[in-house]
Amino acid sequence: MEDAQSKEYVQRMIDYVVSEVIQRPVELNADTLLVSSGLIDSLALVNILQYLEDVTHMRIPASKVQPKDMDSVALMLATARRVGKPRK
Amino acid sequence: MATHTIVIVVVVLVAWIIAWCLPSVRARQALLLLASYLFYSNWGLGFLSILVASSFLNFSLGALLRRRLTSGCLWLGVGLNVVLLGFFKYLPPMAEALGTGWYLEFAKKIVMPVGMSFWTFQGLSYLFDVYREEELDPSLLEFCLYMAFWPVVFAGPVCRLPDMLPQFRKQHVFSWDDISEGSFRLIQGAFMKMVLATILGAGLVLGQGVNAGFDEVKTGWGALDIWFLAVGFGFLLFFDFAGYSHIVIGTARLFGIRLPENFNRPFLSTTPSVFWTRWHMSLSFWIRDYVFVPLAAASRNRRWPYAVFVIAMTLFGLWHAAKWTFILWGTYHGVVLVLHRFGQQVKRKYKVKMPPSLGVFLAWAVTFPVVSLGWLFFRANSLSQALAMFGTIFNPAAYVHLRMPLSFYAVVALVVIGYFAYEAAFSTLVAWGAAYKAKLSTSAKALSSGMGEISVIGLRLNAGGLFNFFADTFWWWFGPAVAVLAACVAIATYRQTGQVSVTPFIYTLF
Repeated sequence: MEDAQSKEYVQRMIDYVVSEVIQRPVELNADTLLVSSGLIDSLALVNILQYLEDVTHMRIPASKVQPKDMDSVALMLATARRVGKPRK
Repeated sequence: MATHTIVIVVVVLVAWIIAWCLPSVRARQALLLLASYLFYSNWGLGFLSILVASSFLNFSLGALLRRRLTSGCLWLGVGLNVVLLGFFKYLPPMAEALGTGWYLEFAKKIVMPVGMSFWTFQGLSYLFDVYREEELDPSLLEFCLYMAFWPVVFAGPVCRLPDMLPQFRKQHVFSWDDISEGSFRLIQGAFMKMVLATILGAGLVLGQGVNAGFDEVKTGWGALDIWFLAVGFGFLLFFDFAGYSHIVIGTARLFGIRLPENFNRPFLSTTPSVFWTRWHMSLSFWIRDYVFVPLAAASRNRRWPYAVFVIAMTLFGLWHAAKWTFILWGTYHGVVLVLHRFGQQVKRKYKVKMPPSLGVFLAWAVTFPVVSLGWLFFRANSLSQALAMFGTIFNPAAYVHLRMPLSFYAVVALVVIGYFAYEAAFSTLVAWGAAYKAKLSTSAKALSSGMGEISVIGLRLNAGGLFNFFADTFWWWFGPAVAVLAACVAIATYRQTGQVSVTPFIYTLF
Protein backbone atom coordinates (compact mmCIF):
# COMPACT_ATOMS: atom_id res chain seq x y z
CA MET A 1 0.00 0.00 0.00
CA GLU A 2 2.85 2.30 0.99
CA ASP A 3 4.69 1.44 -2.22
CA ALA A 4 1.65 2.28 -4.32
CA GLN A 5 1.24 5.55 -2.47
CA SER A 6 4.93 6.40 -2.96
CA LYS A 7 4.64 5.67 -6.68
CA GLU A 8 1.58 7.89 -6.87
CA TYR A 9 3.45 10.72 -5.12
CA VAL A 10 6.44 10.30 -7.44
CA GLN A 11 4.23 10.47 -10.54
CA ARG A 12 2.29 13.49 -9.31
CA MET A 13 5.52 15.34 -8.52
CA ILE A 14 7.02 14.48 -11.93
CA ASP A 15 3.85 15.60 -13.70
CA TYR A 16 3.84 18.88 -11.76
CA VAL A 17 7.51 19.62 -12.43
CA VAL A 18 7.11 18.94 -16.17
CA SER A 19 3.80 20.72 -16.74
CA GLU A 20 3.95 23.64 -14.31
CA VAL A 21 7.65 24.30 -13.76
CA ILE A 22 9.71 23.29 -16.78
CA GLN A 23 6.73 23.68 -19.14
CA ARG A 24 8.20 21.76 -22.04
CA PRO A 25 8.35 18.08 -22.88
CA VAL A 26 11.28 16.51 -20.99
CA GLU A 27 11.93 12.97 -19.83
CA LEU A 28 12.13 12.88 -16.06
CA ASN A 29 12.33 10.09 -13.56
CA ALA A 30 12.50 10.06 -9.78
CA ASP A 31 16.29 10.44 -9.81
CA THR A 32 16.73 13.10 -12.50
CA LEU A 33 18.78 15.97 -11.05
CA LEU A 34 16.72 19.14 -11.16
CA VAL A 35 18.47 21.86 -9.14
CA SER A 36 22.14 21.05 -9.76
CA SER A 37 21.45 20.56 -13.48
CA GLY A 38 19.80 23.98 -13.73
CA LEU A 39 16.44 22.55 -14.86
CA ILE A 40 14.68 24.40 -12.05
CA ASP A 41 15.56 27.69 -10.38
CA SER A 42 15.08 29.02 -6.86
CA LEU A 43 11.57 30.38 -7.46
CA ALA A 44 10.46 27.06 -8.93
CA LEU A 45 11.96 25.35 -5.88
CA VAL A 46 9.66 27.33 -3.62
CA ASN A 47 6.59 26.44 -5.70
CA ILE A 48 7.62 22.77 -5.76
CA LEU A 49 8.07 22.74 -1.97
CA GLN A 50 4.55 24.07 -1.49
CA TYR A 51 3.14 21.52 -3.96
CA LEU A 52 5.04 18.76 -2.14
CA GLU A 53 3.21 19.75 1.04
CA ASP A 54 -0.12 19.45 -0.80
CA VAL A 55 0.73 16.05 -2.30
CA THR A 56 2.03 14.49 0.93
CA HIS A 57 -0.45 16.31 3.24
CA MET A 58 2.49 17.35 5.37
CA ARG A 59 3.84 20.61 6.67
CA ILE A 60 7.47 20.89 5.59
CA PRO A 61 9.37 23.68 7.39
CA ALA A 62 11.36 25.47 4.68
CA SER A 63 14.04 26.33 7.25
CA LYS A 64 14.74 22.61 7.50
CA VAL A 65 15.18 22.13 3.75
CA GLN A 66 18.13 22.86 1.50
CA PRO A 67 18.10 22.94 -2.31
CA LYS A 68 20.29 19.83 -2.34
CA ASP A 69 17.47 18.02 -0.47
CA MET A 70 15.19 18.85 -3.41
CA ASP A 71 17.57 17.94 -6.23
CA SER A 72 15.36 15.11 -7.49
CA VAL A 73 11.81 13.89 -6.95
CA ALA A 74 13.13 10.95 -4.89
CA LEU A 75 15.09 13.32 -2.65
CA MET A 76 12.05 15.58 -2.28
CA LEU A 77 9.89 12.75 -0.99
CA ALA A 78 12.66 11.52 1.31
CA THR A 79 12.93 15.06 2.70
CA ALA A 80 9.19 15.19 3.27
CA ARG A 81 9.36 11.92 5.21
CA ARG A 82 12.37 13.15 7.22
CA VAL A 83 11.28 16.65 8.28
CA GLY A 84 7.58 16.79 7.45
CA LYS A 85 4.89 16.87 10.10
CA PRO A 86 1.32 15.76 9.38
CA ARG A 87 -1.03 18.62 8.69
CA LYS A 88 -3.77 19.16 11.17
CA MET B 1 53.97 42.70 -1.22
CA ALA B 2 55.84 43.44 2.04
CA THR B 3 58.82 41.21 2.85
CA HIS B 4 57.32 39.90 6.06
CA THR B 5 54.14 38.95 4.17
CA ILE B 6 56.19 36.96 1.65
CA VAL B 7 58.02 35.26 4.54
CA ILE B 8 54.72 34.33 6.17
CA VAL B 9 53.32 32.95 2.91
CA VAL B 10 56.44 30.82 2.42
CA VAL B 11 56.33 29.58 6.02
CA VAL B 12 52.63 28.76 5.67
CA LEU B 13 53.22 26.83 2.45
CA VAL B 14 56.12 24.88 3.99
CA ALA B 15 53.99 24.10 7.05
CA TRP B 16 51.21 22.93 4.77
CA ILE B 17 53.57 20.62 2.84
CA ILE B 18 54.82 19.18 6.14
CA ALA B 19 51.24 18.73 7.32
CA TRP B 20 50.44 16.51 4.36
CA CYS B 21 53.32 14.22 5.30
CA LEU B 22 52.14 13.71 8.87
CA PRO B 23 50.42 10.36 9.41
CA SER B 24 48.18 11.59 12.21
CA VAL B 25 45.02 13.38 11.07
CA ARG B 26 44.86 15.41 14.26
CA ALA B 27 48.49 16.51 14.01
CA ARG B 28 47.92 17.52 10.40
CA GLN B 29 44.82 19.53 11.28
CA ALA B 30 46.67 21.23 14.14
CA LEU B 31 49.57 22.21 11.89
CA LEU B 32 47.16 23.51 9.22
CA LEU B 33 45.34 25.56 11.85
CA LEU B 34 48.62 26.96 13.15
CA ALA B 35 49.62 27.88 9.60
CA SER B 36 46.22 29.53 9.03
CA TYR B 37 46.48 31.56 12.24
CA LEU B 38 50.04 32.58 11.37
CA PHE B 39 48.81 33.73 7.96
CA TYR B 40 45.91 35.69 9.46
CA SER B 41 48.11 37.25 12.16
CA ASN B 42 49.78 39.15 9.30
CA TRP B 43 46.88 41.60 9.68
CA GLY B 44 47.28 41.91 13.44
CA LEU B 45 46.81 39.87 16.58
CA GLY B 46 43.70 41.88 17.44
CA PHE B 47 41.97 40.68 14.29
CA LEU B 48 43.13 37.13 14.97
CA SER B 49 41.64 37.23 18.47
CA ILE B 50 38.25 38.22 17.01
CA LEU B 51 38.39 35.38 14.47
CA VAL B 52 39.27 32.92 17.27
CA ALA B 53 36.49 34.32 19.47
CA SER B 54 33.96 33.97 16.63
CA SER B 55 35.08 30.37 16.06
CA PHE B 56 34.63 29.50 19.73
CA LEU B 57 31.27 31.31 19.82
CA ASN B 58 29.86 29.46 16.80
CA PHE B 59 31.21 26.09 17.94
CA SER B 60 29.53 26.59 21.33
CA LEU B 61 26.31 27.74 19.71
CA GLY B 62 26.34 24.64 17.50
CA ALA B 63 26.72 22.44 20.59
CA LEU B 64 23.84 24.27 22.29
CA LEU B 65 21.69 23.90 19.19
CA ARG B 66 22.34 20.16 19.06
CA ARG B 67 21.17 19.82 22.67
CA ARG B 68 18.16 22.14 22.20
CA LEU B 69 17.10 22.04 18.58
CA THR B 70 14.74 25.00 18.65
CA SER B 71 14.29 27.99 16.40
CA GLY B 72 14.90 30.17 19.48
CA CYS B 73 18.42 28.81 19.88
CA LEU B 74 19.04 29.18 16.16
CA TRP B 75 17.97 32.81 16.15
CA LEU B 76 20.06 33.49 19.26
CA GLY B 77 23.07 32.27 17.33
CA VAL B 78 22.13 34.23 14.23
CA GLY B 79 21.55 37.35 16.32
CA LEU B 80 24.93 37.13 18.07
CA ASN B 81 26.75 36.75 14.76
CA VAL B 82 24.83 39.62 13.19
CA VAL B 83 25.55 41.85 16.21
CA LEU B 84 29.26 41.00 16.05
CA LEU B 85 29.43 41.68 12.32
CA GLY B 86 27.28 44.77 12.68
CA PHE B 87 29.53 46.17 15.40
CA PHE B 88 32.63 46.00 13.22
CA LYS B 89 31.16 46.52 9.77
CA TYR B 90 28.10 48.75 10.03
CA LEU B 91 28.58 50.77 13.22
CA PRO B 92 31.55 52.88 11.96
CA PRO B 93 29.79 54.15 8.79
CA MET B 94 26.60 54.76 10.79
CA ALA B 95 28.64 56.75 13.32
CA GLU B 96 30.16 58.79 10.46
CA ALA B 97 26.69 59.64 9.26
CA LEU B 98 25.37 60.59 12.72
CA GLY B 99 27.87 63.38 13.45
CA THR B 100 29.90 63.83 16.65
CA GLY B 101 29.88 62.67 20.26
CA TRP B 102 32.41 60.65 22.32
CA TYR B 103 30.66 57.35 21.63
CA LEU B 104 30.48 58.18 17.93
CA GLU B 105 34.18 59.10 17.87
CA PHE B 106 34.91 55.71 19.43
CA ALA B 107 32.68 53.96 16.86
CA LYS B 108 34.44 55.73 13.97
CA LYS B 109 37.77 54.22 15.09
CA ILE B 110 36.51 50.64 14.91
CA VAL B 111 38.25 48.65 12.16
CA MET B 112 36.66 45.53 10.73
CA PRO B 113 38.84 42.39 10.80
CA VAL B 114 39.89 41.28 7.34
CA GLY B 115 37.45 38.80 5.80
CA MET B 116 34.96 39.05 8.65
CA SER B 117 32.01 39.20 6.23
CA PHE B 118 33.10 35.86 4.77
CA TRP B 119 33.95 33.86 7.86
CA THR B 120 30.91 35.14 9.74
CA PHE B 121 28.73 33.75 6.96
CA GLN B 122 30.61 30.46 7.21
CA GLY B 123 29.80 30.38 10.92
CA LEU B 124 26.14 31.16 10.20
CA SER B 125 25.90 28.40 7.58
CA TYR B 126 27.17 25.95 10.22
CA LEU B 127 24.39 26.94 12.62
CA PHE B 128 21.73 26.66 9.89
CA ASP B 129 23.10 23.24 8.87
CA VAL B 130 23.02 22.01 12.49
CA TYR B 131 19.41 23.21 12.74
CA ARG B 132 18.64 21.27 9.55
CA GLU B 133 20.09 18.21 11.31
CA GLU B 134 22.93 17.72 8.87
CA GLU B 135 25.26 15.00 10.14
CA LEU B 136 28.05 17.27 11.29
CA ASP B 137 30.29 16.47 14.24
CA PRO B 138 33.38 18.64 13.98
CA SER B 139 35.86 18.77 16.81
CA LEU B 140 36.80 22.23 18.06
CA LEU B 141 40.09 21.88 16.16
CA GLU B 142 38.28 21.05 12.91
CA PHE B 143 35.78 23.85 13.34
CA CYS B 144 38.48 26.45 13.99
CA LEU B 145 40.31 25.20 10.91
CA TYR B 146 37.10 25.56 8.86
CA MET B 147 36.66 29.16 10.05
CA ALA B 148 40.32 30.18 9.60
CA PHE B 149 41.37 28.07 6.59
CA TRP B 150 44.05 30.25 5.16
CA PRO B 151 43.39 30.28 1.40
CA VAL B 152 39.78 31.47 1.92
CA VAL B 153 39.90 33.40 5.18
CA PHE B 154 40.18 36.88 3.78
CA ALA B 155 37.86 36.92 0.74
CA GLY B 156 36.22 33.53 0.27
CA PRO B 157 34.90 31.53 -1.53
CA VAL B 158 32.35 31.06 1.26
CA CYS B 159 32.75 27.40 2.19
CA ARG B 160 30.33 24.98 3.86
CA LEU B 161 31.39 22.59 6.59
CA PRO B 162 29.75 19.48 4.99
CA ASP B 163 32.09 19.98 2.00
CA MET B 164 35.24 20.80 3.97
CA LEU B 165 35.08 18.39 6.90
CA PRO B 166 35.62 15.17 4.89
CA GLN B 167 38.60 16.80 3.17
CA PHE B 168 40.15 17.88 6.47
CA ARG B 169 39.82 14.29 7.70
CA LYS B 170 41.18 12.63 4.57
CA GLN B 171 44.75 11.40 4.21
CA HIS B 172 46.13 13.33 1.25
CA VAL B 173 47.30 11.33 -1.76
CA PHE B 174 49.71 13.08 -4.11
CA SER B 175 48.19 13.60 -7.55
CA TRP B 176 49.65 15.10 -10.74
CA ASP B 177 46.09 16.10 -11.68
CA ASP B 178 45.95 18.29 -8.58
CA ILE B 179 49.31 19.84 -9.41
CA SER B 180 48.41 20.50 -13.06
CA GLU B 181 44.93 21.85 -12.35
CA GLY B 182 46.12 23.89 -9.38
CA SER B 183 49.04 25.41 -11.30
CA PHE B 184 46.83 26.28 -14.25
CA ARG B 185 44.29 28.02 -12.00
CA LEU B 186 47.08 29.94 -10.21
CA ILE B 187 48.60 31.21 -13.44
CA GLN B 188 45.17 32.01 -14.87
CA GLY B 189 44.21 33.96 -11.75
CA ALA B 190 47.47 35.88 -11.63
CA PHE B 191 47.08 36.85 -15.30
CA MET B 192 43.49 37.99 -14.77
CA LYS B 193 44.34 40.12 -11.73
CA MET B 194 47.79 41.44 -12.50
CA VAL B 195 47.37 42.06 -16.21
CA LEU B 196 43.74 42.32 -17.27
CA ALA B 197 42.23 43.94 -14.17
CA THR B 198 45.19 46.29 -13.80
CA ILE B 199 45.13 47.37 -17.46
CA LEU B 200 41.39 48.04 -17.30
CA GLY B 201 41.65 49.95 -14.05
CA ALA B 202 44.74 52.03 -14.81
CA GLY B 203 44.33 52.27 -18.56
CA LEU B 204 46.64 51.74 -21.52
CA VAL B 205 47.80 55.26 -20.78
CA LEU B 206 48.15 55.77 -17.04
CA GLY B 207 45.19 57.63 -15.58
CA GLN B 208 42.91 56.90 -18.52
CA GLY B 209 41.31 53.69 -17.31
CA VAL B 210 38.00 52.74 -15.79
CA ASN B 211 38.96 54.02 -12.31
CA ALA B 212 39.72 57.48 -13.66
CA GLY B 213 36.29 57.57 -15.29
CA PHE B 214 34.67 57.20 -11.87
CA ASP B 215 37.21 58.98 -9.64
CA GLU B 216 38.60 61.82 -11.77
CA VAL B 217 35.70 62.75 -14.02
CA LYS B 218 33.10 64.45 -11.85
CA THR B 219 30.55 65.57 -14.42
CA GLY B 220 29.90 65.79 -18.12
CA TRP B 221 30.00 62.13 -19.14
CA GLY B 222 28.39 61.25 -22.41
CA ALA B 223 25.95 58.33 -22.47
CA LEU B 224 28.44 56.16 -24.39
CA ASP B 225 31.08 56.99 -21.75
CA ILE B 226 28.72 55.64 -19.12
CA TRP B 227 28.12 52.43 -21.07
CA PHE B 228 31.85 51.89 -21.51
CA LEU B 229 32.43 52.62 -17.81
CA ALA B 230 29.65 50.24 -16.77
CA VAL B 231 30.85 47.40 -19.00
CA GLY B 232 34.50 48.17 -18.27
CA PHE B 233 34.00 48.07 -14.52
CA GLY B 234 32.01 44.85 -14.75
CA PHE B 235 34.96 43.21 -16.48
CA LEU B 236 37.47 44.83 -14.12
CA LEU B 237 35.59 43.43 -11.13
CA PHE B 238 35.31 40.04 -12.82
CA PHE B 239 39.04 39.80 -13.61
CA ASP B 240 39.90 41.04 -10.12
CA PHE B 241 37.59 38.80 -8.11
CA ALA B 242 37.55 35.77 -10.42
CA GLY B 243 41.32 36.12 -10.65
CA TYR B 244 41.54 36.05 -6.85
CA SER B 245 39.18 33.04 -6.79
CA HIS B 246 41.34 31.15 -9.31
CA ILE B 247 44.47 31.86 -7.23
CA VAL B 248 42.82 30.65 -4.02
CA ILE B 249 41.14 27.61 -5.59
CA GLY B 250 44.34 26.74 -7.44
CA THR B 251 46.47 27.04 -4.29
CA ALA B 252 44.14 24.76 -2.34
CA ARG B 253 44.02 22.31 -5.25
CA LEU B 254 47.82 21.99 -5.25
CA PHE B 255 47.36 20.32 -1.88
CA GLY B 256 44.36 18.25 -2.83
CA ILE B 257 41.68 20.46 -1.29
CA ARG B 258 38.71 21.32 -3.51
CA LEU B 259 37.03 24.64 -2.80
CA PRO B 260 33.63 25.71 -4.17
CA GLU B 261 33.67 27.59 -7.47
CA ASN B 262 32.87 31.29 -7.51
CA PHE B 263 32.44 32.10 -11.20
CA ASN B 264 31.25 30.27 -14.29
CA ARG B 265 31.46 32.49 -17.38
CA PRO B 266 28.92 35.00 -16.02
CA PHE B 267 29.03 37.31 -19.03
CA LEU B 268 27.55 34.56 -21.18
CA SER B 269 24.39 34.47 -19.03
CA THR B 270 21.15 34.61 -21.00
CA THR B 271 18.89 35.68 -18.11
CA PRO B 272 19.40 37.59 -14.84
CA SER B 273 18.44 34.41 -13.00
CA VAL B 274 21.21 32.47 -14.76
CA PHE B 275 23.65 35.32 -14.03
CA TRP B 276 23.20 34.77 -10.30
CA THR B 277 24.06 31.09 -10.68
CA ARG B 278 27.35 32.13 -12.32
CA TRP B 279 28.54 35.27 -10.43
CA HIS B 280 30.03 35.07 -6.91
CA MET B 281 28.40 31.66 -6.73
CA SER B 282 29.45 30.78 -3.19
CA LEU B 283 27.69 33.84 -1.75
CA SER B 284 24.78 33.75 -4.21
CA PHE B 285 23.98 30.14 -3.30
CA TRP B 286 24.35 31.03 0.39
CA ILE B 287 21.70 33.74 0.02
CA ARG B 288 19.49 31.33 -1.97
CA ASP B 289 19.80 28.47 0.53
CA TYR B 290 19.61 30.36 3.83
CA VAL B 291 17.59 33.48 2.98
CA PHE B 292 15.53 33.25 -0.21
CA VAL B 293 14.09 29.71 -0.10
CA PRO B 294 13.13 29.69 3.63
CA LEU B 295 11.68 33.21 3.44
CA ALA B 296 9.84 32.75 0.13
CA ALA B 297 8.30 29.45 1.22
CA ALA B 298 6.96 31.01 4.41
CA SER B 299 3.84 32.30 2.67
CA ARG B 300 1.56 30.95 -0.04
CA ASN B 301 0.78 34.44 -1.32
CA ARG B 302 1.72 34.31 -5.00
CA ARG B 303 3.32 37.78 -4.91
CA TRP B 304 5.39 37.10 -1.78
CA PRO B 305 8.36 35.35 -3.53
CA TYR B 306 8.77 38.44 -5.71
CA ALA B 307 9.04 40.64 -2.63
CA VAL B 308 11.58 38.17 -1.23
CA PHE B 309 13.67 38.49 -4.41
CA VAL B 310 14.02 42.20 -3.67
CA ILE B 311 14.64 41.64 0.07
CA ALA B 312 17.25 38.93 -0.51
CA MET B 313 19.14 40.89 -3.15
CA THR B 314 19.03 44.06 -1.05
CA LEU B 315 20.63 42.06 1.77
CA PHE B 316 23.17 40.85 -0.78
CA GLY B 317 24.02 44.46 -1.53
CA LEU B 318 24.11 45.41 2.16
CA TRP B 319 26.52 42.52 2.85
CA HIS B 320 29.08 44.34 0.70
CA ALA B 321 28.98 47.59 2.66
CA ALA B 322 26.67 49.91 4.54
CA LYS B 323 26.44 52.35 1.68
CA TRP B 324 23.38 53.43 -0.28
CA THR B 325 25.13 52.61 -3.56
CA PHE B 326 25.56 48.95 -2.62
CA ILE B 327 22.06 48.71 -1.16
CA LEU B 328 20.64 50.18 -4.38
CA TRP B 329 22.77 47.79 -6.44
CA GLY B 330 21.23 44.86 -4.61
CA THR B 331 17.71 46.26 -4.88
CA TYR B 332 18.26 46.93 -8.59
CA HIS B 333 19.08 43.27 -9.15
CA GLY B 334 16.11 42.17 -7.06
CA VAL B 335 13.80 44.27 -9.25
CA VAL B 336 15.48 42.92 -12.39
CA LEU B 337 14.86 39.34 -11.22
CA VAL B 338 11.18 40.16 -10.64
CA LEU B 339 10.84 41.82 -14.06
CA HIS B 340 12.50 38.79 -15.64
CA ARG B 341 9.83 36.53 -14.10
CA PHE B 342 7.06 38.80 -15.39
CA GLY B 343 8.72 38.72 -18.81
CA GLN B 344 8.67 34.91 -18.76
CA GLN B 345 4.95 34.94 -17.93
CA VAL B 346 4.20 37.33 -20.81
CA LYS B 347 6.24 35.15 -23.19
CA ARG B 348 4.27 32.05 -22.14
CA LYS B 349 0.91 33.83 -22.26
CA TYR B 350 1.40 35.12 -25.79
CA LYS B 351 3.26 31.98 -26.89
CA VAL B 352 6.19 33.95 -28.27
CA LYS B 353 8.21 31.61 -30.48
CA MET B 354 11.41 32.19 -32.44
CA PRO B 355 14.37 30.17 -33.72
CA PRO B 356 16.33 28.92 -30.66
CA SER B 357 19.65 30.55 -31.64
CA LEU B 358 17.94 33.94 -32.19
CA GLY B 359 16.14 33.56 -28.87
CA VAL B 360 19.39 32.81 -27.03
CA PHE B 361 21.16 35.76 -28.67
CA LEU B 362 18.33 38.19 -27.89
CA ALA B 363 18.14 36.95 -24.30
CA TRP B 364 21.90 37.54 -23.90
CA ALA B 365 21.64 40.93 -25.67
CA VAL B 366 19.11 42.09 -23.06
CA THR B 367 20.74 40.48 -20.01
CA PHE B 368 24.28 41.76 -20.63
CA PRO B 369 23.47 45.52 -20.71
CA VAL B 370 20.95 45.23 -17.86
CA VAL B 371 23.55 43.55 -15.63
CA SER B 372 26.23 46.03 -16.77
CA LEU B 373 24.13 49.04 -15.78
CA GLY B 374 23.95 47.69 -12.24
CA TRP B 375 27.74 48.11 -11.90
CA LEU B 376 27.26 51.88 -11.92
CA PHE B 377 25.74 51.61 -8.45
CA PHE B 378 28.43 49.16 -7.31
CA ARG B 379 31.35 51.36 -8.31
CA ALA B 380 30.07 54.94 -8.00
CA ASN B 381 31.69 57.01 -5.27
CA SER B 382 28.40 58.41 -4.09
CA LEU B 383 24.68 58.01 -4.57
CA SER B 384 24.47 61.30 -6.45
CA GLN B 385 27.18 60.20 -8.87
CA ALA B 386 25.42 56.87 -9.45
CA LEU B 387 22.07 58.53 -10.10
CA ALA B 388 23.65 61.16 -12.37
CA MET B 389 25.38 58.46 -14.42
CA PHE B 390 22.24 56.33 -14.55
CA GLY B 391 20.17 59.29 -15.65
CA THR B 392 22.61 60.13 -18.45
CA ILE B 393 21.97 56.73 -20.06
CA PHE B 394 18.32 57.66 -20.59
CA ASN B 395 19.08 61.10 -22.05
CA PRO B 396 19.12 60.77 -25.88
CA ALA B 397 20.98 64.09 -26.24
CA ALA B 398 23.89 62.66 -24.23
CA TYR B 399 24.67 60.11 -26.93
CA VAL B 400 26.38 62.66 -29.19
CA HIS B 401 28.89 63.67 -26.58
CA LEU B 402 32.15 61.86 -25.61
CA ARG B 403 34.20 62.90 -22.57
CA MET B 404 36.76 60.14 -22.04
CA PRO B 405 40.10 59.86 -23.88
CA LEU B 406 40.47 57.56 -26.89
CA SER B 407 42.73 55.09 -25.09
CA PHE B 408 39.94 54.44 -22.57
CA TYR B 409 37.51 53.25 -25.26
CA ALA B 410 40.30 51.24 -26.86
CA VAL B 411 41.27 49.38 -23.69
CA VAL B 412 37.68 48.53 -22.74
CA ALA B 413 36.78 47.43 -26.27
CA LEU B 414 39.98 45.37 -26.64
CA VAL B 415 39.58 43.55 -23.35
CA VAL B 416 35.85 42.88 -23.78
CA ILE B 417 36.15 41.69 -27.38
CA GLY B 418 39.23 39.68 -26.41
CA TYR B 419 37.31 37.97 -23.61
CA PHE B 420 34.40 36.95 -25.86
CA ALA B 421 36.82 35.86 -28.59
CA TYR B 422 38.66 33.70 -26.03
CA GLU B 423 35.40 32.12 -24.85
CA ALA B 424 34.35 31.39 -28.45
CA ALA B 425 37.76 29.90 -29.27
CA PHE B 426 37.81 27.78 -26.11
CA SER B 427 34.30 26.44 -26.78
CA THR B 428 35.27 25.65 -30.37
CA LEU B 429 38.44 23.84 -29.25
CA VAL B 430 36.47 21.80 -26.74
CA ALA B 431 33.93 20.89 -29.44
CA TRP B 432 36.73 19.94 -31.87
CA GLY B 433 38.39 17.87 -29.16
CA ALA B 434 35.17 15.96 -28.59
CA ALA B 435 34.68 15.49 -32.35
CA TYR B 436 38.27 14.26 -32.80
CA LYS B 437 37.88 11.81 -29.92
CA ALA B 438 34.70 10.47 -31.51
CA LYS B 439 36.36 10.22 -34.96
CA LEU B 440 39.46 8.64 -33.42
CA SER B 441 37.32 5.97 -31.87
CA THR B 442 35.46 5.40 -35.18
CA SER B 443 38.69 5.36 -37.23
CA ALA B 444 40.36 2.96 -34.80
CA LYS B 445 37.45 0.56 -35.16
CA ALA B 446 37.56 0.83 -38.97
CA LEU B 447 41.35 0.27 -38.97
CA SER B 448 41.12 -2.77 -36.77
CA SER B 449 38.38 -4.27 -38.97
CA GLY B 450 40.45 -3.61 -42.12
CA MET B 451 37.86 -1.31 -43.71
CA GLY B 452 38.57 2.01 -45.46
CA GLU B 453 41.77 3.47 -46.85
CA ILE B 454 44.56 2.77 -44.40
CA SER B 455 46.65 5.84 -45.32
CA VAL B 456 43.78 8.33 -44.83
CA ILE B 457 42.70 6.69 -41.58
CA GLY B 458 46.33 6.66 -40.46
CA LEU B 459 46.65 10.44 -41.12
CA ARG B 460 43.46 11.10 -39.21
CA LEU B 461 44.66 8.95 -36.34
CA ASN B 462 47.93 10.84 -36.23
CA ALA B 463 46.16 14.20 -36.28
CA GLY B 464 43.69 13.07 -33.66
CA GLY B 465 46.44 11.59 -31.54
CA LEU B 466 48.43 14.83 -31.74
CA PHE B 467 45.37 16.84 -30.76
CA ASN B 468 44.71 14.53 -27.82
CA PHE B 469 48.33 14.80 -26.71
CA PHE B 470 48.13 18.60 -26.54
CA ALA B 471 44.70 18.47 -24.88
CA ASP B 472 45.79 15.94 -22.27
CA THR B 473 49.03 17.73 -21.47
CA PHE B 474 47.28 21.08 -21.53
CA TRP B 475 49.06 22.58 -18.54
CA TRP B 476 52.53 21.64 -19.79
CA TRP B 477 52.35 24.13 -22.63
CA PHE B 478 49.38 26.42 -21.93
CA GLY B 479 50.51 27.57 -18.50
CA PRO B 480 54.02 28.60 -19.59
CA ALA B 481 52.57 30.12 -22.79
CA VAL B 482 50.17 32.26 -20.79
CA ALA B 483 52.95 33.24 -18.38
CA VAL B 484 55.22 34.31 -21.27
CA LEU B 485 52.36 36.19 -22.96
CA ALA B 486 51.42 37.88 -19.69
CA ALA B 487 55.01 38.94 -19.11
CA CYS B 488 55.27 40.40 -22.63
CA VAL B 489 51.99 42.30 -22.30
CA ALA B 490 52.94 43.55 -18.85
CA ILE B 491 56.36 44.74 -19.99
CA ALA B 492 54.91 46.41 -23.08
CA THR B 493 52.20 48.12 -21.09
CA TYR B 494 54.22 49.24 -18.14
CA ARG B 495 57.12 50.55 -20.20
CA GLN B 496 54.67 52.89 -21.85
CA THR B 497 52.80 53.98 -18.79
CA GLY B 498 55.49 54.01 -16.17
CA GLN B 499 55.10 52.29 -12.86
CA VAL B 500 51.58 51.04 -12.21
CA SER B 501 50.92 49.56 -8.80
CA VAL B 502 48.68 46.53 -8.56
CA THR B 503 45.70 47.49 -6.40
CA PRO B 504 44.48 45.21 -3.60
CA PHE B 505 41.87 42.60 -4.48
CA ILE B 506 38.55 44.51 -4.47
CA TYR B 507 36.66 41.93 -2.38
CA THR B 508 39.17 42.13 0.47
CA LEU B 509 37.58 45.51 1.17
CA PHE B 510 34.20 43.93 2.05
